[in-house]
Amino acid sequence: MKTLLADGPTGLYATEMRQFGRLAGHWRTEITYYPAGSPPRRVDGEWEFGYALEGRAVLDVWQWPGRADLPPEGRAPDQECGLCVRIWDQRLRLWRFTFHGTRGDILHMYAREIGDEIVMERAAPGALVRWTFADIAADTFHWRNERSTDGGRTWRLDQEVHAHRLT
Amino acid sequence: MATAVELIAAPWNLGLRPPEPGHEPGAWRAPEALLAAGLEDRLRPARLVELDRPPYDFDAQPATRVRNGVTLREHTLRLAGTVREALAASRFPVVLGGDCSVLLGCLLGARHDGRCGLVHVDGHNDFRHPGDGGSGPALGNAAGMDLALATGRGELLLTHWPRVGRPLVADEDVVQIGDRDEDADLPFTRFTARQIERVGIADLGEQVRAHLDRHGLDRVWLHVDLDVLDERVLPAVDTPGRPGMDFAQLAELLSSLVGTGRVIGLDITVYDPERDPDGAHAAPIVDCLTSALTPLATVEAHA
Repeated sequence: MKTLLADGPTGLYATEMRQFGRLAGHWRTEITYYPAGSPPRRVDGEWEFGYALEGRAVLDVWQWPGRADLPPEGRAPDQECGLCVRIWDQRLRLWRFTFHGTRGDILHMYAREIGDEIVMERAAPGALVRWTFADIAADTFHWRNERSTDGGRTWRLDQEVHAHRLT
Repeated sequence: MATAVELIAAPWNLGLRPPEPGHEPGAWRAPEALLAAGLEDRLRPARLVELDRPPYDFDAQPATRVRNGVTLREHTLRLAGTVREALAASRFPVVLGGDCSVLLGCLLGARHDGRCGLVHVDGHNDFRHPGDGGSGPALGNAAGMDLALATGRGELLLTHWPRVGRPLVADEDVVQIGDRDEDADLPFTRFTARQIERVGIADLGEQVRAHLDRHGLDRVWLHVDLDVLDERVLPAVDTPGRPGMDFAQLAELLSSLVGTGRVIGLDITVYDPERDPDGAHAAPIVDCLTSALTPLATVEAHA
């Protein structure tokens, strides 16, 4: 699969590619879930980003636990591993995003840089779901997964991540 | 000096629900019908641009609860580019819808050069969005959401735009005219159908002009959903109703607004030739629009 990954962004849409491309690298993650009616749950994981498809896409692999902490018997059913694909769509002037989980779950979202955040969104029956990259610095960023059932007036935090760069 | 008109045909029906299973709404045929009824000959535009007809999708598109939401974004951006070009050439764009979702492309094109108000002439307020109960589990129809989307309410897909961001128009820069829902609580200046019956068209025109003055709105887009007409006058629309204006009243109102010199372009929507099998209603629409644009012969728009 040497043709999948790329060393850097395409010269086309350089400004847009940089929005997600600045995350390229390997990150340690502190993940907190906030289930309704239950106490928060903290786990550790890894998140790796990189350019792909001649620099026209940004991929990431999301996993918890990370590779070093994976038990010998392999990943448990409730532990997560997934591939995210982001491609800038010049016709729509936004990012198209798909998440492919190893449990067979697939999600579509759209993303735009809004202010100093990158906001990804999908509409489901009765809810808007947003995944937002915020406070992006060279070695850290924050990510949150929120849900609104009133059209975006109020948001409930379902999950958040504090990421620290490893490489 | 006269301002030249540019006619832009936007033959789409993306924002309407199917009138019956498997059957596309017929509003996409309106530009062709109006041109066949002599609109081009009457307005003598500097240019006629005919945009492609977008494909209509009966099923939900990925990650959106707005019918044809992805296609609508793509074609909104295309329409915006055409409107922007017309304005840059100091022309007065007249966009022939199509359904009311063409409004987004019109405003986006107009916003390229800065603030632009909106006079929304429509028999409905088109303010449905998820935050007001919206369409529930069913797909939303953008033709009933265009004012909500334009003011930044709804999915990112249809509310965040290049250069402009969100919203396309601020609540305080909107005037809504002709809504039949007397009880709606909306964050805009509005003149309902019943109010218009009481005050008359001349007084309404003066009140709108005064509002634009007070708010310093030198550039305004004019949206005209033909369902603002009484259903006894024009039944060939997606959702006819009453009370409403007759053609003479609509022409007087539009002429008054264009005569302020603040209107930089307009769109006209929702005429459905499939609901007008003998084509009887196309001619009065052409007459109305021609009459409404007469002031362009003497007034220069604030482009």
